Amino acid sequence: MNWALQALNGISLGALLFLLASGFTLIFGLARVVNMAHGAFYLLGGYFGLTILRLTGSFWLALLAGGVGIIVVNYFIERYLLRGIGENHLAQVLLTVGLVYVIADIALSIWGGDSLSIPPPAFARGPIDLPGGIVYPRYRFLLIVFGVFIGILLWLLYKKTQIGAIVRAGVDDREMVNAMGINIDRLFALVFALAAFLAGMSGVAGGAFLALYPGAEWEILVLALVVVIVGGLGSLEGAMAGSLIVGLVDAYGRWLLPQFSHFVVFAPMAILLLLRPRGLFGREA
Amino acid sequence: MTDQNAVDVAELTKTFGGIHAVEKVSLKVPIGQRRALLGPNGAGKTTLFNCITGSMRPSAGRIFLFGKDVTEMPEHHRTAMGIGRTYQITNVFLKLSVIENVLLAVQGTTRQKWIPYRSVESFPESLARATEELERVGLANRASVSVRYLSYGERRQLELALALASRPRVLLLDEPASGLSPAERQRIAGIIAQLPRHITLILIEHDMSVALGLADQIAVLHRGRVILEGTPDEIRANPEVREVYLGKV
Amino acid sequence: MGRRGWLVLGITVALALLAPQVLGTFWISLVIQVLVFGLLALSVDLLLGHTGIFPLGHAAFFALAAYTTAILQVRYAQPTLLAAPAGLGAAVILALVYGLAVRTSGVYFILVTMAMGHIVWGAAVTWASFTNGDNGIGNVPFPALGSLAIRNLSSYYYLVLAVVLACALAYRKLTRSPFGLTLRGIRESGSRMHALGYNVGAHRYAAFVLSGSLAGLAGVLYIYFNRFVSPPTASLHVSVEAALMVIVGGTGTVIGPFIGSAIILVLRNYVSAYLVNWMTIMGVVFIATVLWAPDGVLGLMRRLRAQLRMSPARSESPMVVAGEGKDTP
Repeated sequence: MNWALQALNGISLGALLFLLASGFTLIFGLARVVNMAHGAFYLLGGYFGLTILRLTGSFWLALLAGGVGIIVVNYFIERYLLRGIGENHLAQVLLTVGLVYVIADIALSIWGGDSLSIPPPAFARGPIDLPGGIVYPRYRFLLIVFGVFIGILLWLLYKKTQIGAIVRAGVDDREMVNAMGINIDRLFALVFALAAFLAGMSGVAGGAFLALYPGAEWEILVLALVVVIVGGLGSLEGAMAGSLIVGLVDAYGRWLLPQFSHFVVFAPMAILLLLRPRGLFGREA
Repeated sequence: MTDQNAVDVAELTKTFGGIHAVEKVSLKVPIGQRRALLGPNGAGKTTLFNCITGSMRPSAGRIFLFGKDVTEMPEHHRTAMGIGRTYQITNVFLKLSVIENVLLAVQGTTRQKWIPYRSVESFPESLARATEELERVGLANRASVSVRYLSYGERRQLELALALASRPRVLLLDEPASGLSPAERQRIAGIIAQLPRHITLILIEHDMSVALGLADQIAVLHRGRVILEGTPDEIRANPEVREVYLGKV
Repeated sequence: MGRRGWLVLGITVALALLAPQVLGTFWISLVIQVLVFGLLALSVDLLLGHTGIFPLGHAAFFALAAYTTAILQVRYAQPTLLAAPAGLGAAVILALVYGLAVRTSGVYFILVTMAMGHIVWGAAVTWASFTNGDNGIGNVPFPALGSLAIRNLSSYYYLVLAVVLACALAYRKLTRSPFGLTLRGIRESGSRMHALGYNVGAHRYAAFVLSGSLAGLAGVLYIYFNRFVSPPTASLHVSVEAALMVIVGGTGTVIGPFIGSAIILVLRNYVSAYLVNWMTIMGVVFIATVLWAPDGVLGLMRRLRAQLRMSPARSESPMVVAGEGKDTP
């Protein structure tokens, strides 16, 4: 019984991580940009959502606000800061880490240092009865459903639409897409916006069962990074597989080895490092 | 001297996705021979080089150096065995000085590269070797200049010095004259012609006159396969070669 | 370094020796921090400026050494002559293990080292039975080196100065040695180095272990200064700041990391005294440095000198995307 319970815990965390990691990995795959501020986007998006929720009482508006708010923030960052540095990963990392400091500090001033949580919508509260006699928090279960839904949506977009085909081509060979006359800038803008939306939205989604607090931006980032290391940078399937693996390992790890709970999640990363440094679905190390 | 070949390539194949860059190429280059590889762009010549030096792994086939099967051997070990190579697109260390570039090439096959004390300048033998190679290619007076201030032609000369610095027994030259002015071309061809005869030379060259002038034996590649082998005279007289270059095949 | 360089160094050392007579405790404390964190930054630069890889987890070695020494001195009442080498030894062992990271390159290396640093932080927080968790370990005594007894900050300052100077000189020797040249070649082009006969992976590993060990040494110096260690010492923040110090000062030199250390620490000490939002300021410094001064202070000086001489000065920074890589006719 407990095994199933922990599996659900792991999968729901995985769903949340997927929302965050998928954008991160796609941006890298397409634009070769490493954006360490993704964790800060999560936190800030969550805070945005919380404020909107307090104002309007609507969870859905909060989700939207989180996503849209981060699209705006990311737009300015991308346009005025990241564009100047091109593909230099070192510079990208340092710059976006600096951004995390700024964002986190400003958020601290506005929302304070206490741990805040986002109350889930009415229909998602309380327990849900699952087959096998398992009683599970309804919200986390719905999060899994949501995560799978987004995953399928992204996958369809990526594999079955023309835009997706162009993005995939761009991930493989950017110069070629450019040469084919397709406006690569607009493509980037689209993917960046999508990634930003997912990140901000995941903050609202996560804020309802994990809390929002200073420091969360780093903790979630580290988990997302392990996801992309395990799954492989630039790969959507990698983000899916990685999220699932990290989520499950974290859940089982916390349950079976509580004294190692903090870093049992790095075990898959270490294994990958030894056997396949570029990740399960990654292309170049 | 044994009748062992310097380089022996057996049924080498290299595919990228669906593309057969090199297909079942077999080549035997005896010690001391000067072999030229001709063929239009995309014929697989550089890929063949990459497989021989070890920077790429072949999809099938085997490679032998001086009789030893090196197909599984990593690149840096093959260099230690005596392969030197130049690149079609100049591949020198731009932010270092000319002498530092050559010193890197000199110490690459020695234990010296691990020494963490004593400055690089305090190793007279290496310095002498490096200076010797610079003199051979005509760059001795530019030793302390940072490579990024070198002209394209000078960088090609440096490229050659790097390959020679480790005293290779087999030298693979990938279009050493590409992009050079006629005078520079002559000079490079002259340097190559004067290399000691015990060094086996495999030369990729687009410029037929340079190739025909330097080579003992020629192999013509087209679409990843060897279509013709012969002496310079035989190749010069062969109409098929002309077709290959003019794209009638 | 020319005659002028040695003169400047001589004067600086002389000033440094006189410092405790002239400066108060606050300033001596600050100078010690500049030296210790400068050494940490130097260890990062061995990889960043010389080998061309960017580690973002060096706080792991720093903190592990500090914790090891602290625990041995405080909880097991071991003498300095055992605790300090043990601290360094722990860092060396960790570096030997973490050196696995060199199997990755580029972005992956950055991310993996980040995660590795996080592991040590997590251990510091979670293994409370061993590390005292968030409470940290305090009451670390001043070092006692046999007959040499350090009793106050000023005396410790001299010890730190001596150790850092020795390290800096050894570091300089290293970078000018064949091994140092090898690292710079690897920084430029690992693939070309491979073709020249170098086992690039082995060299990177060696550099990583050296770097981690040096970071551990800085950690040992740190614990006897701060005499208290807690999980934040192992945080990403420390690793990131060390990298920033390198960039701000200028990579590829011995003095650069120390200049960067001085700037960042002075900034932090002053700014945090007056502004609540000093983290924002730090973030802005990051951003500004990346965008406008990727060469750091030394680079700015170089450019200034070149401008005065009216000759071109090209960037050495790994953060400036070199438009030149391979050559074309």
